[in-house]
Amino acid sequence: MADIALAYAASHAPMMSSARMAAPAEQRENFFGALDFIRTEAVRRGVEACVVFSNEHFTNFFLENFPQNCIGVGEKNWGPTEEWLPIDKVWIPGHPGLANHIARHTLDSGFDPAFSHQLELDHGIMTVYYELDHDMQLPLVPIVQNCAVPPLMPVRRAYEFGRAVGDAIRSYTGLKKVAIVGAGGLSHWIGNPRVGDIEETFDRWFLERLARGELEDILDMPDSEIELAGNGNHEMRSWLAVAGAVAPVKATPLAYEPVYPWITGMAVAHWETLEEGTAGAAGEADGDRTEETRV
Amino acid sequence: MSLYQLHRCVYDWVRAGEVNSADGGAGREDFDASVYELTDEERRAFDDKDVAAFYQLGLHQVLLNRFARAAGFARDDYRKLLEPFATTDGRKGRWQT
Repeated sequence: MADIALAYAASHAPMMSSARMAAPAEQRENFFGALDFIRTEAVRRGVEACVVFSNEHFTNFFLENFPQNCIGVGEKNWGPTEEWLPIDKVWIPGHPGLANHIARHTLDSGFDPAFSHQLELDHGIMTVYYELDHDMQLPLVPIVQNCAVPPLMPVRRAYEFGRAVGDAIRSYTGLKKVAIVGAGGLSHWIGNPRVGDIEETFDRWFLERLARGELEDILDMPDSEIELAGNGNHEMRSWLAVAGAVAPVKATPLAYEPVYPWITGMAVAHWETLEEGTAGAAGEADGDRTEETRV
Repeated sequence: MSLYQLHRCVYDWVRAGEVNSADGGAGREDFDASVYELTDEERRAFDDKDVAAFYQLGLHQVLLNRFARAAGFARDDYRKLLEPFATTDGRKGRWQT
């Protein structure tokens, strides 16, 4: 059976790649420092594949057909699609065995995810995936979520779907170490007069609830309230799917920076899923950053 | 005529210029908007790359953002175009109490 050897969520503003240096140095170093820590941990823990939740931005699906969840079950997926995003456009290996197991398990658990044998991946997954593996060779199972086009699945449903995905990973026998990742959020507005605003109070409140494991405060939020922290705040579903997958583990926020040049509350949080002393596949940590909260 | 046609037109235009797995498509230069059943107002907005008009017409905001980015509008530029349409929302979220 596979372990969820690494669980984390990170914001995915495309400017983290396309306008990296526009962010103040301290914010940049804090945010990417957290992602560097995650990347080091992925290697140290021997992660063999990753499952990444992120939202659809009208890249694969349009108004004719818009699934709430779509699992990428193919042997490969393509990305990133944005011509202006400075990440190499490549075929990224999938993991059909794990992906089909997740699809089967979630179907048997009362969910009805769509599936795709080839997805086009935009910045939503690619910015965070690239920070996990600069070589973009780590097998990736993308799970694309609807976080934009009403009617949206309730956030509690996203959390419960994540729990089913977590159970699926843990019951998969084809791998030993799998990472589960949420990519998106936190507060931001796009395509409307508030683009550029960040609701810092919400972001800190959200991270505190994840750290305390007080998810009920979040899981009953209606969409109309979620949008008070931006139409992009619907992407919290990716974070909550990870929280569900590893429940009852609580999150440790690693970084929070309201990066105004990137128009987004940028955060990274880690859920420690391995018992103390078992995290290292290759002994003690060799990085100089230990898990710490810098929010 | 429907707002769907405008959405489909803008979506196809954005995707035509992206780097897709299938040979990259035809690009945006030769994009033919005449095949879409647009109203005069919608067609004018598309031809003029009028972000403010798209917003007023009700183009989905995620798609509007993608259009603005692909059309070369910086975030500060398109915010200025949309600011006249800002409304005040007096509601508060639970994190604000």
